[in-house]
Amino acid sequence: MTPEDFDRLQTLLASRAGFRLTRDRMQLAEHRLGPVARREGYHNVEAMLASLWSRPVASLGWSVIEALLNGETWFRRDRAAFEVMERELLPALTAARPGGRVRLWCAGASTGQEAYSLAIAALEAGAQVEIEATDLSRQAIEKALSGLYTSFEIQRGLSARAMLRWFEQVDDQWRARSELRAAIAFKRANLLDEAADEGRFDVVFCRNVLGDMAPERRARVLDGLERRMVDDGCLFLGRDERPDGDSVAFRPVAGRKGLYVKSAAAARRAA
Amino acid sequence: MDPRTCLIVDDSRIIRKVARRILEDLSFDVAEAADGAEALDYCQAAMPQVVLLDWQMPVMDGLAFLRRLRDLPGGRAPKVLFCSVETRADRIAEALSAGADEYVMKPFDGEILQAKLAEVGVVQSPS
Repeated sequence: MTPEDFDRLQTLLASRAGFRLTRDRMQLAEHRLGPVARREGYHNVEAMLASLWSRPVASLGWSVIEALLNGETWFRRDRAAFEVMERELLPALTAARPGGRVRLWCAGASTGQEAYSLAIAALEAGAQVEIEATDLSRQAIEKALSGLYTSFEIQRGLSARAMLRWFEQVDDQWRARSELRAAIAFKRANLLDEAADEGRFDVVFCRNVLGDMAPERRARVLDGLERRMVDDGCLFLGRDERPDGDSVAFRPVAGRKGLYVKSAAAARRAA
Repeated sequence: MDPRTCLIVDDSRIIRKVARRILEDLSFDVAEAADGAEALDYCQAAMPQVVLLDWQMPVMDGLAFLRRLRDLPGGRAPKVLFCSVETRADRIAEALSAGADEYVMKPFDGEILQAKLAEVGVVQSPS
């Protein structure tokens, strides 16, 4: 891969996915694109990229984009966020919402571990939740939808008891049980696209997404999240992520790292 | 935090070595035993805080050790993590009902072991 190729990849990722492909990921990019080139029938990565640059972005472009995103995730990542959800938010929201129905959105759900962790928390608490889980990567969403995890993946963050309770063994993999899968609607969606306004969420998990985004795209994503949240909706970001400077719509909750509430100012502006 | 002791019980020297490295990085004091009988001797002399326990071993296997351990004075205190190539759901359930606090399917890596230790509350969860 030439430095020019890498520059163009950076532009592609930033414009289509808002993703900041940093220069230190050049080797990683080369490594990840190898299998894509083989799958798409090219001799090597250079040949694939040459073909990519000569045409408008279509399915090949998206395969390249997906391969370069950061899909790292595991069950109950940053445990504290799930504990706040289980102990405080779910009981409070269940009591406050009509019919006890709570709507959650996992924005940037990757391969589904976070959405399944939320579904487990809700079902164990007897809460009625509808979970929508979206990701830009079609491959990630397909895996999430299958609910199938290797023994490496299933052990990362999940207790053995939770694994036995909520997953069934299928050969050497583990599949989310049907009641768990029924609690979640997985969809491919781009956080940069205009939000189709189809109902609002009480709680949004958008963790470890903003941190990888090009700074000039963060405001747009936060704006899109805010539009789809109820007026006192809660937003969980990754442990070290903050909306500061990119949005005035959220204020932090003291003592709850990564948790933000949609602020009155945003509610007024929307009204 | 005070140094805590983890006893690694496995008949494979390689597994003990790999696990020792991970546990020492998590600031455990590590002791080793090659089978259940050796491990039981160790526990009778000084009860560790954590036991990482293989299942299939000569002399005394993991399940037999675990049942004997839980009957010792103070033997309910250690957090026991089974760590085995056995991955059948019913066998995992059997180990848990025999008194194991967690179960690690081999092969494992540092991230998995740390996550499982966090699950039983002896280390911080990874981030």
